[in-house]
Amino acid sequence: MKNQLKVLRAMRSWSQADLGEHLDVSRQAVNAIETGKYDPSLPLAFKISRLFALPIEEIFDDEFEGAHND
Amino acid sequence: MTDADEMANNNGRRMLWVIVSGLGIMMTAGAVAGYLAAHEAQGGGALGTAGIVTLCGFAAIITGLAFAIWRNVSKMKASNEGLTRREKLNRNMIYGFVLVGGAIGLLLTFYDTSVGNLDTGALPIFSDNPVPPVMALMLVFFWAVIMPIIAWFWHKRAIDEQEASAYRDGGYYAAYAFLIGAPMWWILWRGGFAPEPDGVAIFMLFASIWTAVWLWKKYR
Repeated sequence: MKNQLKVLRAMRSWSQADLGEHLDVSRQAVNAIETGKYDPSLPLAFKISRLFALPIEEIFDDEFEGAHND
Repeated sequence: MTDADEMANNNGRRMLWVIVSGLGIMMTAGAVAGYLAAHEAQGGGALGTAGIVTLCGFAAIITGLAFAIWRNVSKMKASNEGLTRREKLNRNMIYGFVLVGGAIGLLLTFYDTSVGNLDTGALPIFSDNPVPPVMALMLVFFWAVIMPIIAWFWHKRAIDEQEASAYRDGGYYAAYAFLIGAPMWWILWRGGFAPEPDGVAIFMLFASIWTAVWLWKKYR
Protein backbone atom coordinates (compact mmCIF):
# COMPACT_ATOMS: atom_id res chain seq x y z
CA MET A 1 0.00 0.00 0.00
CA LYS A 2 1.33 3.45 -0.94
CA ASN A 3 1.98 5.76 1.99
CA GLN A 4 3.56 9.03 3.12
CA LEU A 5 5.66 7.51 5.90
CA LYS A 6 9.02 8.26 4.30
CA VAL A 7 8.05 11.90 3.68
CA LEU A 8 6.67 12.36 7.18
CA ARG A 9 9.80 10.79 8.65
CA ALA A 10 12.06 13.00 6.53
CA MET A 11 10.16 16.11 7.68
CA ARG A 12 11.25 15.27 11.22
CA SER A 13 14.79 14.28 10.14
CA TRP A 14 14.27 10.84 11.67
CA SER A 15 16.16 7.76 10.57
CA GLN A 16 14.28 4.48 10.14
CA ALA A 17 15.73 3.45 13.49
CA ASP A 18 14.31 6.60 15.15
CA LEU A 19 10.84 5.92 13.76
CA GLY A 20 11.18 2.25 14.67
CA GLU A 21 11.95 3.25 18.27
CA HIS A 22 8.87 5.50 18.40
CA LEU A 23 6.66 2.70 17.06
CA ASP A 24 8.45 -0.12 18.94
CA VAL A 25 9.22 -1.99 15.72
CA SER A 26 12.44 -2.85 13.86
CA ARG A 27 14.11 -0.85 11.07
CA GLN A 28 13.19 -3.66 8.69
CA ALA A 29 9.52 -3.16 9.57
CA VAL A 30 9.74 0.60 8.92
CA ASN A 31 11.53 -0.03 5.62
CA ALA A 32 9.01 -2.71 4.56
CA ILE A 33 6.07 -0.37 5.29
CA GLU A 34 7.72 2.60 3.52
CA THR A 35 8.42 0.57 0.40
CA GLY A 36 4.92 -0.94 0.35
CA LYS A 37 6.17 -4.49 0.91
CA TYR A 38 4.28 -4.85 4.17
CA ASP A 39 0.92 -3.39 5.19
CA PRO A 40 0.81 -2.57 8.91
CA SER A 41 -1.89 -3.99 11.17
CA LEU A 42 -4.74 -1.69 12.19
CA PRO A 43 -3.25 -1.11 15.69
CA LEU A 44 0.12 -0.13 14.18
CA ALA A 45 -1.59 2.10 11.59
CA PHE A 46 -3.40 3.91 14.44
CA LYS A 47 -0.09 4.24 16.31
CA ILE A 48 1.48 5.84 13.21
CA SER A 49 -1.55 8.08 12.83
CA ARG A 50 -1.28 9.29 16.44
CA LEU A 51 2.49 9.78 16.19
CA PHE A 52 2.18 12.10 13.18
CA ALA A 53 -1.16 13.58 14.30
CA LEU A 54 -2.77 12.80 10.95
CA PRO A 55 -5.76 10.66 9.95
CA ILE A 56 -4.87 7.18 8.68
CA GLU A 57 -6.24 7.94 5.20
CA GLU A 58 -3.85 10.89 4.86
CA ILE A 59 -0.88 8.62 5.54
CA PHE A 60 -1.98 5.48 3.69
CA ASP A 61 -3.52 5.31 0.22
CA ASP A 62 -5.31 2.09 -0.78
CA GLU A 63 -5.81 3.55 -4.32
CA PHE A 64 -9.54 2.86 -4.16
CA GLU A 65 -11.30 4.99 -6.77
CA GLY A 66 -14.81 3.53 -6.75
CA ALA A 67 -17.98 5.34 -5.65
CA HIS A 68 -18.90 5.38 -1.96
CA ASN A 69 -22.12 3.64 -0.91
CA ASP A 70 -23.59 6.62 0.96
CA MET B 1 17.10 7.47 3.86
CA THR B 2 20.23 7.82 5.98
CA ASP B 3 23.48 5.89 5.45
CA ALA B 4 22.70 3.79 8.52
CA ASP B 5 19.30 2.91 7.03
CA GLU B 6 20.88 1.85 3.74
CA MET B 7 23.48 -0.27 5.54
CA ALA B 8 20.80 -1.92 7.67
CA ASN B 9 18.63 -2.64 4.63
CA ASN B 10 21.46 -4.66 3.07
CA ASN B 11 21.74 -6.91 6.13
CA GLY B 12 19.43 -9.54 4.66
CA ARG B 13 21.82 -10.21 1.79
CA ARG B 14 24.76 -10.23 4.22
CA MET B 15 23.04 -12.68 6.54
CA LEU B 16 22.28 -14.94 3.57
CA TRP B 17 25.98 -14.88 2.64
CA VAL B 18 26.94 -15.78 6.23
CA ILE B 19 24.50 -18.73 6.29
CA VAL B 20 25.52 -19.99 2.83
CA SER B 21 29.23 -19.60 3.68
CA GLY B 22 28.74 -21.42 7.01
CA LEU B 23 26.97 -24.31 5.26
CA GLY B 24 29.72 -24.32 2.63
CA ILE B 25 32.40 -24.65 5.33
CA MET B 26 30.51 -27.53 6.97
CA MET B 27 30.07 -29.33 3.64
CA THR B 28 33.72 -28.77 2.64
CA ALA B 29 34.86 -30.03 6.06
CA GLY B 30 32.67 -33.10 5.46
CA ALA B 31 34.30 -33.56 2.05
CA VAL B 32 37.77 -33.39 3.67
CA ALA B 33 36.73 -35.99 6.27
CA GLY B 34 35.31 -38.23 3.52
CA TYR B 35 38.43 -37.84 1.38
CA LEU B 36 40.72 -38.75 4.28
CA ALA B 37 38.48 -41.69 5.28
CA ALA B 38 38.60 -42.99 1.67
CA HIS B 39 42.38 -42.58 1.70
CA GLU B 40 42.62 -44.59 4.93
CA ALA B 41 40.30 -47.27 3.50
CA GLN B 42 42.66 -47.66 0.53
CA GLY B 43 45.59 -48.42 2.80
CA GLY B 44 46.52 -44.97 4.11
CA GLY B 45 50.13 -43.83 4.10
CA ALA B 46 51.58 -40.56 2.81
CA LEU B 47 49.40 -38.45 0.50
CA GLY B 48 50.64 -38.07 -3.07
CA THR B 49 50.89 -34.80 -5.00
CA ALA B 50 47.27 -35.13 -6.16
CA GLY B 51 46.13 -35.64 -2.57
CA ILE B 52 48.04 -32.60 -1.32
CA VAL B 53 46.68 -30.44 -4.16
CA THR B 54 43.13 -31.64 -3.40
CA LEU B 55 43.46 -30.84 0.31
CA CYS B 56 44.99 -27.44 -0.53
CA GLY B 57 41.95 -26.78 -2.74
CA PHE B 58 39.60 -27.67 0.12
CA ALA B 59 41.64 -25.43 2.48
CA ALA B 60 41.42 -22.54 0.00
CA ILE B 61 37.63 -22.95 -0.24
CA ILE B 62 37.28 -22.96 3.56
CA THR B 63 39.57 -19.92 3.88
CA GLY B 64 37.59 -18.01 1.24
CA LEU B 65 34.26 -18.82 2.88
CA ALA B 66 35.62 -17.87 6.34
CA PHE B 67 36.78 -14.55 4.88
CA ALA B 68 33.29 -13.97 3.41
CA ILE B 69 31.73 -14.61 6.84
CA TRP B 70 34.17 -12.24 8.58
CA ARG B 71 33.61 -9.49 5.98
CA ASN B 72 29.81 -9.70 6.09
CA VAL B 73 29.66 -9.94 9.89
CA SER B 74 31.92 -6.85 10.14
CA LYS B 75 29.57 -4.89 7.87
CA MET B 76 26.52 -6.07 9.81
CA LYS B 77 28.14 -4.99 13.08
CA ALA B 78 28.92 -1.56 11.60
CA SER B 79 25.25 -1.11 10.60
CA ASN B 80 23.99 -2.10 14.04
CA GLU B 81 24.75 1.27 15.63
CA GLY B 82 21.10 2.33 15.58
CA LEU B 83 19.34 -0.85 16.61
CA THR B 84 15.93 -0.39 18.18
CA ARG B 85 15.20 -1.98 21.58
CA ARG B 86 13.35 -4.90 19.99
CA GLU B 87 16.12 -5.46 17.44
CA LYS B 88 18.76 -5.61 20.21
CA LEU B 89 16.73 -8.18 22.15
CA ASN B 90 16.05 -10.15 18.94
CA ARG B 91 19.74 -10.09 17.96
CA ASN B 92 20.89 -11.18 21.43
CA MET B 93 18.39 -14.04 21.50
CA ILE B 94 19.46 -15.24 18.03
CA TYR B 95 23.12 -15.11 19.13
CA GLY B 96 22.06 -17.19 22.15
CA PHE B 97 20.30 -19.75 19.89
CA VAL B 98 23.40 -20.02 17.70
CA LEU B 99 25.68 -20.48 20.74
CA VAL B 100 23.44 -23.13 22.32
CA GLY B 101 22.99 -24.90 18.96
CA GLY B 102 26.76 -24.83 18.43
CA ALA B 103 27.36 -26.16 21.97
CA ILE B 104 24.93 -29.06 21.37
CA GLY B 105 26.59 -29.79 18.01
CA LEU B 106 30.03 -29.77 19.64
CA LEU B 107 28.80 -32.00 22.48
CA LEU B 108 27.48 -34.56 19.99
CA THR B 109 30.62 -34.31 17.86
CA PHE B 110 32.92 -34.77 20.88
CA TYR B 111 30.84 -37.72 22.03
CA ASP B 112 30.88 -39.34 18.57
CA THR B 113 34.64 -38.70 18.30
CA SER B 114 35.31 -40.11 21.78
CA VAL B 115 33.53 -43.38 20.94
CA GLY B 116 34.95 -43.52 17.40
CA ASN B 117 31.68 -42.98 15.54
CA LEU B 118 32.93 -40.40 13.04
CA ASP B 119 34.40 -42.86 10.57
CA THR B 120 31.40 -42.35 8.28
CA GLY B 121 32.20 -38.64 7.91
CA ALA B 122 28.54 -37.81 8.60
CA LEU B 123 27.60 -34.51 10.26
CA PRO B 124 26.45 -35.02 13.89
CA ILE B 125 22.94 -33.81 13.02
CA PHE B 126 22.56 -36.64 10.49
CA SER B 127 24.11 -39.26 12.78
CA ASP B 128 22.02 -42.26 13.83
CA ASN B 129 24.63 -43.44 16.32
CA PRO B 130 23.35 -44.23 19.84
CA VAL B 131 23.95 -41.72 22.64
CA PRO B 132 23.85 -42.33 26.43
CA PRO B 133 20.27 -42.18 27.86
CA VAL B 134 21.21 -39.27 30.18
CA MET B 135 22.45 -37.20 27.24
CA ALA B 136 19.33 -38.06 25.22
CA LEU B 137 17.02 -37.04 28.10
CA MET B 138 18.91 -33.75 28.65
CA LEU B 139 18.62 -32.85 24.95
CA VAL B 140 14.93 -33.81 24.87
CA PHE B 141 14.30 -31.69 28.00
CA PHE B 142 15.98 -28.72 26.31
CA TRP B 143 14.08 -29.22 23.04
CA ALA B 144 10.64 -29.93 24.54
CA VAL B 145 10.63 -27.74 27.68
CA ILE B 146 13.21 -24.94 27.44
CA MET B 147 12.82 -24.21 23.71
CA PRO B 148 9.03 -23.55 23.83
CA ILE B 149 9.53 -21.10 26.73
CA ILE B 150 12.27 -19.23 24.85
CA ALA B 151 10.16 -19.31 21.65
CA TRP B 152 7.14 -17.88 23.50
CA PHE B 153 9.28 -15.05 24.93
CA TRP B 154 10.81 -14.40 21.48
CA HIS B 155 7.38 -14.14 19.85
CA LYS B 156 5.96 -11.92 22.60
CA ARG B 157 8.86 -9.56 23.32
CA ALA B 158 11.59 -9.69 20.69
CA ILE B 159 9.98 -9.69 17.25
CA ASP B 160 7.58 -7.15 15.79
CA GLU B 161 4.51 -7.74 13.62
CA GLN B 162 6.42 -7.56 10.32
CA GLU B 163 8.79 -10.32 11.41
CA ALA B 164 5.89 -12.33 12.88
CA SER B 165 4.19 -12.09 9.47
CA ALA B 166 7.40 -13.19 7.71
CA TYR B 167 7.72 -16.10 10.15
CA ARG B 168 4.11 -17.18 9.55
CA ASP B 169 4.66 -17.07 5.78
CA GLY B 170 7.74 -19.28 6.25
CA GLY B 171 5.56 -21.73 8.19
CA TYR B 172 2.97 -21.85 5.38
CA TYR B 173 5.58 -22.55 2.71
CA ALA B 174 7.27 -25.20 4.88
CA ALA B 175 3.95 -26.85 5.78
CA TYR B 176 2.90 -27.10 2.12
CA ALA B 177 6.35 -28.39 1.13
CA PHE B 178 5.97 -31.06 3.83
CA LEU B 179 2.36 -31.95 2.98
CA ILE B 180 3.23 -32.31 -0.72
CA GLY B 181 6.82 -33.51 -0.51
CA ALA B 182 6.69 -36.17 2.24
CA PRO B 183 3.85 -38.29 0.76
CA MET B 184 5.39 -37.86 -2.72
CA TRP B 185 8.73 -39.23 -1.48
CA TRP B 186 6.89 -42.09 0.30
CA ILE B 187 4.94 -43.05 -2.85
CA LEU B 188 8.07 -42.75 -5.04
CA TRP B 189 9.85 -45.08 -2.60
CA ARG B 190 6.98 -47.58 -2.74
CA GLY B 191 7.12 -47.40 -6.53
CA GLY B 192 10.83 -48.13 -6.47
CA PHE B 193 11.86 -44.72 -7.80
CA ALA B 194 13.49 -43.26 -4.66
CA PRO B 195 15.39 -44.39 -1.56
CA GLU B 196 13.46 -44.91 1.68
CA PRO B 197 12.18 -41.61 3.18
CA ASP B 198 14.62 -40.19 5.71
CA GLY B 199 13.01 -38.47 8.72
CA VAL B 200 16.04 -36.30 9.52
CA ALA B 201 16.35 -35.14 5.90
CA ILE B 202 12.63 -34.28 5.83
CA PHE B 203 12.98 -32.35 9.12
CA MET B 204 16.03 -30.47 7.84
CA LEU B 205 14.28 -29.56 4.56
CA PHE B 206 11.19 -28.40 6.49
CA ALA B 207 13.30 -26.22 8.81
CA SER B 208 15.45 -24.90 5.95
CA ILE B 209 12.45 -23.85 3.82
CA TRP B 210 10.83 -22.17 6.84
CA THR B 211 14.04 -20.27 7.69
CA ALA B 212 14.77 -19.28 4.08
CA VAL B 213 11.27 -17.86 3.51
CA TRP B 214 11.26 -16.16 6.93
CA LEU B 215 14.56 -14.33 6.20
CA TRP B 216 13.54 -13.54 2.61
CA LYS B 217 10.23 -12.00 3.73
CA LYS B 218 11.90 -10.14 6.58
CA TYR B 219 14.73 -8.56 4.59
CA ARG B 220 13.54 -8.46 0.96
